[in-house]
Formats: sequence, C-alpha cells, structure tokens
Amino acid sequence: MLNTTIRRHAPFWLSIAAGIAIWEIAGRSTSQAFMVPFSTTIVQLWELVQSGVFIRQFLDSAELFMTGFVLALAVGMPLGMLLARVRVLRIGVEPYIMILYATPMVALIPFILSMMGFGFAPKVLVVFLFAVFPVIYNTVEGARSIKPELIEVAQSFRSTEWALWRDVMVPYTLPYAMTGVRQAIGRALVGMIAAEFFLSSTGLGQLIMTASQNFDTAGVFASVLVIALIGVALMRAGLAIERHFARWRQ
Amino acid sequence: MTQQQTAAKAGHDGEPRIRVRGLGKHYGALEVFRNIDFDVSKREIVAIVGPSGCGKTTLLRCIDGLLPHDTGEILVGDTRVTEPIAGVAMVFQHFGLFPWKTVSENVAYGLRMAGAPKAEIARKVPEFIKLVGLAGFENAFPYQMSGGMQQRCGLARALAVEPTVLLMDEPFAAVDAQTREILQFELLRIWQERPTAMVFVTHSIEEAVLLGHRVIVLKGRPSSIHETITIDLPEPRTRETLQHPRFAVLRERVWSTLMAEAREAEFVLER
Repeated sequence: MLNTTIRRHAPFWLSIAAGIAIWEIAGRSTSQAFMVPFSTTIVQLWELVQSGVFIRQFLDSAELFMTGFVLALAVGMPLGMLLARVRVLRIGVEPYIMILYATPMVALIPFILSMMGFGFAPKVLVVFLFAVFPVIYNTVEGARSIKPELIEVAQSFRSTEWALWRDVMVPYTLPYAMTGVRQAIGRALVGMIAAEFFLSSTGLGQLIMTASQNFDTAGVFASVLVIALIGVALMRAGLAIERHFARWRQ
Repeated sequence: MTQQQTAAKAGHDGEPRIRVRGLGKHYGALEVFRNIDFDVSKREIVAIVGPSGCGKTTLLRCIDGLLPHDTGEILVGDTRVTEPIAGVAMVFQHFGLFPWKTVSENVAYGLRMAGAPKAEIARKVPEFIKLVGLAGFENAFPYQMSGGMQQRCGLARALAVEPTVLLMDEPFAAVDAQTREILQFELLRIWQERPTAMVFVTHSIEEAVLLGHRVIVLKGRPSSIHETITIDLPEPRTRETLQHPRFAVLRERVWSTLMAEAREAEFVLER
C-alpha cells in the first residue's frame, strides 16, 4: 500500500528535486545579475515576508485579481448561456467576441490608460478583459452542445424559461464553463501583472519592477515563483470544482 | 373484477380524448404528412407504425404541442393544441432523463413544473418509483443504471403527473430485446391499473399488435393513414396474448400492409 503510493509519486518528487538542483547549480555558476540559485531566492522571499512588504503587495494584487476575475465570471457565464439560447444575439455578438478573444490585450493597455487614467478601475478592466473571453467562449460551446431532447423534455413538461435555466441550462453548462474558468485563471494572472506594470504600479507587479530596476534578481524570482505557485494552485482548485459539477458525466 | 371492468371499457367505444382532424405538416418545402384523421378514446391504446422517415415521431410531437402543425387541428378534450398542455405527458425514445438528477429528482421534475406542492411531490415520487419497479434506486443517477431502468424512470416521470394522455415515442427502441419484452408487459400491467388514452409510436409490428387496440399504418411520401386495423385480442393483454392464434393473423395483416410499402421504398433513391 505504502509502496504503491511511493512508486506513484516518486517520479513527481524526483522531477521537482532535479529541477531545484539544476536551478541551484545554474544559479551558483553564473553571474548574480542574471541568475540566482534557489536557496538565495527562498532566503530573499523569507526576508520580504518578514519585512511585511511582501504581504502588503500580495494582498494588493489579490484584491485586483479577485475583483477582475469574479467580474469576468459574473459576466461571462450568464452572457455565454444567453448567447447559446438566443440565436440572433449569438450571430450578432459572436464576431466581436472572436475578435476580442484573439486581440493581444496588452496592446489595448495604452488605450485604456488614456481613457480611464491610473486608478483601480482601469486595472480591474485589464484583468477582466484578459479573463472574460475564454469564459464566454467555453460557456457558449458547452451550452450549445446540450441535447435537444432535454430541452424538449422541459418544454413538454411546460417548463417556464426561468425553470429551464435553473433545471437544465445551468447544471448542464457548468462543467463546460469551468474549462473556460481554468483558462481564465492563467490569463487573469497575466492581466494582473500587465496592469501593475503599465498602469499605476502596485502589488507584486511593482515588487518585480522595482527589484528588476535594482538588479535584484532574487527579488524578481521570489515574486515570480509565488505567482506561478498560486496559478498552479488556483487551476488545481478549478479542476476539482469542474469535476464536482461534472460527476454525472460518467 | 376490476380488471374485467377495465377490459370491457377499453378500446375505441369510449368518449374520444384526442381528436386529430385533417392534420398536415411541412418542414420547409418538404411535406411530411397530410390529412391525418383519427380519435383516441379515454381508455385506448393506438399504435402508429410506418417505415422510417414517415413522420410518426413528428406526428407525436405535434400532438404534444412541441411542434406546430400547418393544417387541421388537434383537440385534447376541449383544448386545441398549439403548445404543450397540462394532462399530456410524453415518454422519450432516448429516455430524456436529466443526467445530473437522481431517479427521485427526475421523477419529481414533471410535478415540480406543474407547480405541485412539496408535500404532494414527497408523497407521489416514491409511489411512482415503486409502480415502475425502481424501489431502492431512488438516489441512483441515470449513468449508473441500464437502459431499461432508465426508461422505467422516464415512464415514472410521465405517470407521476397523472396524465389523461400518454404519448410514447418509440420508448423501447433503445433497449435490448429481452428488456424490451419485459417493459412491454410492465407497461400493460401499469396501463391496466391506470388506463389512459395512449398514442404509441413504434417500428415494431409485434409491439404495435400486442399493445394497440388499433394499429394505424402510415404510408407514402408525404405520408397519410393507409389503414387502421382493429386489434380484437382479448383483454387484458398478457404473455398469453402472444400465443393467441388471432395474434399471428393480425401481425401478418399489419406486416403485409406495411411491407408492400417498404419494398417499394427500399428501391427509391433518396433525393
């Protein structure tokens, strides 16, 4: 029992250990200006946490991320289902969604800056724009794949439109929408850092910028490492939620 | 005694529950059927057979109000059907169960949509689950059950709203042959207990003759009623019905009516 557990997880932990070892060796054998070893990065992270700077900037970024991300879900999911249900609307709106989905959002940041300035709102807009399109796209695709027979069942039993959404559209579509949500997590993190770089400098973005300007490579790595780990954790959480909603799909 | 009374009243003699008059339907330029006229009595099973693509399922969806018709009219009681109406329930070919709902939740669905009070739902759901023989599977999800069990659930959902009209859209076509036979006799048993007007669409001649008090044969393109065959087999229908000499005669009769068309249709190229 213990043996199989070890055997199953051994490749994973060996790979992580090897990655850290390579990082450590590479860091020690190059100039500190380009690359710092894993140990130095962790020490630097610990000092940043101890000084209170890191926690403050982290919470700042978290607020921005959550606001933009939750807005993206609150708009993306209902809009996606509405587009799947109302054909005329979908045909009218879909080209714009495709164009905006394909647009590199970073390119729009100067435009958002000139429109809205340096406040909190324009940064939320950037995170929102990064995150919302995969949510809409996957929700529409999911909601459109619903079997017509299930809609017929609802109609045959004289379901109201509201009950059709509550009992059929939403439970059917949620697992598909969650696929988009997981993509949105990664994009929202990019949006968060981009907004903090190019609009008013705050949060982890500011931490990275300042460290980079001071040639503090360890400081840059420390922040990047934390962002990456949070990204992975959020996507795993997203997958768990997706599986929870999809447990009826064999 | 009760069964004999039911049996005596069963068939075409009662007051019509469904009246279909001069019904016609197009899909764009394609005319599906025309001039469909028939009645279904309060306690009567009318089976509709016909070659694939003859529009029997379309006809059933028109009666349920799921599809609009172009000409003629459908009356259920005194109500003209233009949309799904109360008192009519349908059993679907692919069961139409909501895969994220348990058996209980699926059976409760129709009652909830009809606005039944919670206490009534709590009382009726176990009753109908038991009626279709699914007791013990209340909390199972559709994917955990065989096709036969899933259709029992679909049947319980339709019966739970206590409809006066049951519309059956090839309900046993998606289950294996043995299960199909079991379900046919289960349906007959349930119908004896709770007779309704029933329209049963099938492509199985045997099934049509076993269940139907009358068999309507749809033929042609566009299709229309080619013949209505009265099935004068003794009531109640049971396993012995299959052994009845009259059964073989009637099955042969429906078969020859249908197959004359099928042979022609086989050699017509699809456009």
